[in-house]
Amino acid sequence: MEWMDKSRIRNFCIIAHIDHGKSTLADRLMQFTGAVEDRDLTEQHLDTMELERERGITIKAQAVRLSYTARDGRGYELNLIDTPGHVDFTYEVSRSLAACEGALLLIDATQGIQAQTMANIYLAMEHDLSIIPVINKIDLPGAEPERVAGEIEQSFGFAPQDIQYISAKTGKGVLDLLETVVELVEPPRGDPSAPLRALIFDSRYDPYKGVVAYLRVVDGEMKGTERAMLMSAGVTADVLEAGFFSPAPEKSAGLATGQVGYLATGLKNVRDCRVGDTLTSSRLPATAPLAGYRPLKPMVFSGLYPADGKAYPELRDALDKLQLNDPALVFEPESSTALGFGFRCGFLGLLHMDIVQERLEREYDLSLIATAPGVNYRVTLTDQSVVEVDNPSRMPPAQTIAEVREPWVELSIIAPSRFIGPVMDLVTGRRGEYRKMEYLPTRSSMSAGANGPADAPANDARVHLEYLAPLSEILVDFHDQLKARTQGYASMDYSLVDDRPADLVKLEVLVNQEPVDALSIITHRGDAQSQGRKLARKLRELIPRQMFEVPIQAAIGNKVIARETVRALRKNVLAKCYGGDVTRKRKLLEQQAEGKKRLKKIGRVDVPQEAFLAVLKIDRE
Amino acid sequence: MPCRLPNAASGIGLYLHVPFCLSKCPYCDFNTYEGLTPLIPAYMAALEREIRLWAELLHGPPVSSIYYGGGTPSYVPPHSIASSLQTVTNLFEVSRDAELTLEANPGDVAPEQIDSWMKAGINRLSIGVQSFDDALLKTLGRRHTSQEAARAALCAASRGLENLSLDLMFGLPLQTLGQWQNSLNTAIDLEPQHLSIYGLQLEPGTPMEADVRLGRTPDVDNDLAADMYTLAEDTLGQAGFEHYEISNWARRGKESQHNLAYWTLQPYLGVGSGAHSFLHGRRFANVKSPRAYARCLESDAAIHNNRAHPVDAMRALGTVGEAETMDRQTAIAETMMMGMRLSRGVSNADFNHRFGVDMSDVFYEELRDLSDAGLIIHDHAGARLTPRGRLLGNEVFARLVEASSKAAQFRPGQAA
Ligand SMILES: Nc1nc2c(ncn2[C@@H]2O[C@H](COP(=O)(O)OP(=O)(O)OP(=O)(O)O)[C@@H](O)[C@H]2O)c(=O)[nH]1
Ligand code: SF4
Ligand SMILES: [Mg+2]
Repeated sequence: MEWMDKSRIRNFCIIAHIDHGKSTLADRLMQFTGAVEDRDLTEQHLDTMELERERGITIKAQAVRLSYTARDGRGYELNLIDTPGHVDFTYEVSRSLAACEGALLLIDATQGIQAQTMANIYLAMEHDLSIIPVINKIDLPGAEPERVAGEIEQSFGFAPQDIQYISAKTGKGVLDLLETVVELVEPPRGDPSAPLRALIFDSRYDPYKGVVAYLRVVDGEMKGTERAMLMSAGVTADVLEAGFFSPAPEKSAGLATGQVGYLATGLKNVRDCRVGDTLTSSRLPATAPLAGYRPLKPMVFSGLYPADGKAYPELRDALDKLQLNDPALVFEPESSTALGFGFRCGFLGLLHMDIVQERLEREYDLSLIATAPGVNYRVTLTDQSVVEVDNPSRMPPAQTIAEVREPWVELSIIAPSRFIGPVMDLVTGRRGEYRKMEYLPTRSSMSAGANGPADAPANDARVHLEYLAPLSEILVDFHDQLKARTQGYASMDYSLVDDRPADLVKLEVLVNQEPVDALSIITHRGDAQSQGRKLARKLRELIPRQMFEVPIQAAIGNKVIARETVRALRKNVLAKCYGGDVTRKRKLLEQQAEGKKRLKKIGRVDVPQEAFLAVLKIDRE
Repeated sequence: MPCRLPNAASGIGLYLHVPFCLSKCPYCDFNTYEGLTPLIPAYMAALEREIRLWAELLHGPPVSSIYYGGGTPSYVPPHSIASSLQTVTNLFEVSRDAELTLEANPGDVAPEQIDSWMKAGINRLSIGVQSFDDALLKTLGRRHTSQEAARAALCAASRGLENLSLDLMFGLPLQTLGQWQNSLNTAIDLEPQHLSIYGLQLEPGTPMEADVRLGRTPDVDNDLAADMYTLAEDTLGQAGFEHYEISNWARRGKESQHNLAYWTLQPYLGVGSGAHSFLHGRRFANVKSPRAYARCLESDAAIHNNRAHPVDAMRALGTVGEAETMDRQTAIAETMMMGMRLSRGVSNADFNHRFGVDMSDVFYEELRDLSDAGLIIHDHAGARLTPRGRLLGNEVFARLVEASSKAAQFRPGQAA
């Protein structure tokens, strides 16, 4: 077997704030190294998932191997990982970082440093990677590379000559960037003669090949013919196939120290092969596993139920398989009187929740009902026992509760200074607490003089604001409000810090006099009245008229605080049906019956799936 | 097929499609065109050729009703109506008491016209009045006034026509209950034998649907439309009309024979562009475009009836587009969705005769639930809609159509 000399391997990822051009840069890198023929190259080529293409964002990190002949005449193997930029997919980023020695930190020349730029560079620093700052989109008319370079130098301590300038779109500067990668990213360390240790950083399920693990060989080498062992599960597997991505999967004899690739394990039990586990050889196993990943704490919880109750086993199976490809997803079984058997799922945010639901529906052909997203409460009961409650319908009765604590986050917002007022208003309106504010330094403000003293920054100066806020307050509609109030200029990031006591109540919803557990929410006492009214009103809009009148009530305890009525449907009939339209009208009626099947029967009332997410559609402001 | 639908031997309905209008109304999604007037002669000639071909293929079966629909049949020259009707009577066995209807727009109804239609054999006119309110007629894009409509109706009666039907529409944007009551009263005063009352249906792709969707025209209040329907039922009932189908009222004995055939799944032949037929257990339709249709029939093409089904001969010619054989499940579904439109409903005996099983076995749960909901009455005679059920007909039809998929479990001769 011929292995690439490890000194010629460079493993790096591209990290950035959302939309700063990571996937577009990956396109150029693949194009310039000939990994993809020009005629086969599509825009954001690595965003292969249907959902990624539809939404124009990267959801999954994606690894590609490139062969590059550098200006020194030598051939190099570059393993590149394109990562997502949205906060909700940070776990994809941190797992990718663990498979790399270097990171290209992309910054949009028209936008400068944003909240995720900061979050991502800190992540890369924690992983001890060599970071190459790259200013992208210099082709745009609004580009301010100078100013952005100043921000980078002053905020992160880079020297002017460390910064690369490129246009991922036109390709300008990209060849020089490739040289810099070869020069500055360290070759993989690792001991080629030690027993095999490979870090599983991602995986997916293939109906024919079983669990396919994406891995980075840290020590030793992996031969495609050898039995592998998963260290934490203690399971062995016959390797069906080993290879790498180019970007299409390509078989190879194995993977050497420092290389990144995949391995089809043939394992059918998805729980045997976990992301973060160490893969070794069963013939000569390593003694200690690699560090692996910190388990992740989900931020948001929601119930997922099959619209057709009979599909529960399919949903369980689908969640198991999806989790392989999305280890940020957690779930456990739960049941609801209204919806039957389902799962309480934990997500990193609402986008993550939305994507998980969409992927389950598309990739596993399921029709799902999601219940209102909420956070995890720590409830101390009067007998001093503590329970975690992530499902509103499981909230213990008020009289048994001594204290409820809710999660708080550290909220970091970057915005032009002229929007400080509106941002402050927004955050304090959501019970947030101001922590600190810093002007993002620029070259001019540091070299002082010309624009006046440094403490009176120019109009277009940008600030980094930090707050503490209850997570539940920034989950729904906060980001949209932030964008709206700052003309789209602000960006945000947040992470859990601690929990604090909170004055909360459970808002129950009754449909046709019956309490519907799946519609109840937990809310701050001060907001309960208005939330209840808005929720009832929204439900009235979302629940179609039935053949009888349907009262909708919102209640706290036994007290009804809002009432709406869905009036009875009086007329629904095809006026004409003659010889020319029998078939067409029959099909219309079949569709009507089909549509009804997608509604959930709550007592006698047919409720559409969207109604369970009504709380997301009410106006907070 | 364990399914005995009426066959052609006992007489068919004949539909002739005339796809021309003076101007296209903004709510209309029929296969009709306003700019095709120059095609009329060629089209009418093609229509006659198609009649001849079918007569040959079917060996001139008995015809129990004829219906010129559209479009606006009154818009084409009366002599071409006469000529095509002559061809029909020459080649088919048209029964003496057959109902011969022509759809007409008020603007086209003048004494000479009526005389020549009646001379040709037409014995029933269906006039598209739509409303007796001039403002609403404008909203509907109609070219006539309420006065012209009334004049047309009176004129028909004065020329000796004994079977007149008027079309009215309700549930129109901005229409009030008062306006509707007026239209109904005016219609009754004109003493038609038959009335078709249609709730406006906003069809996708029509200008009016777009206007409402984009908020340029106010949407129709569903509850008000329900009130209007009930008002029509009361008013026409008091005036002595029988409500025999969801949208149709008639003096006793003046129910539309041609349309009754549709609702009871009798065979019919449709000629002309886009016309649908139901013959020998197959549903099929002609090509939609009048030009393409006329082109297929340009020359006196001879056809070779050596095929299993006459439809296949016409498919070879190109006039027939889609065709499908009706399976038992579909026959059951359509028997229910069409039959339940009639006030008399679907009779247990007819159902059993057709399908060899009992309606109350196949639709046990559905009939029970729908009765419980007050939408139908189901008794020893059969099943039919209640007044509330007429307003919520789709709830009934959809349920029954869906449940027809169970029909396979119920085979003749099997114990249920
Ligand atoms: N003009 C110009 N546009 C660019 C450049 N690089 C990227 N874009 C555009 O910026 C948008 C976002 O690019 P992507 O490559 O999808 O950004 P990303 O960082 O991968 O986004 P996420 O994966 O969703 O975080 C696309 O419309 C690109 O065409 C550039 O150098 N110049
Ligand atoms: S006259 Fe009748 S067929 Fe012609 S466009 Fe108007 S509604 Fe349609
Ligand atoms: Mg991307």
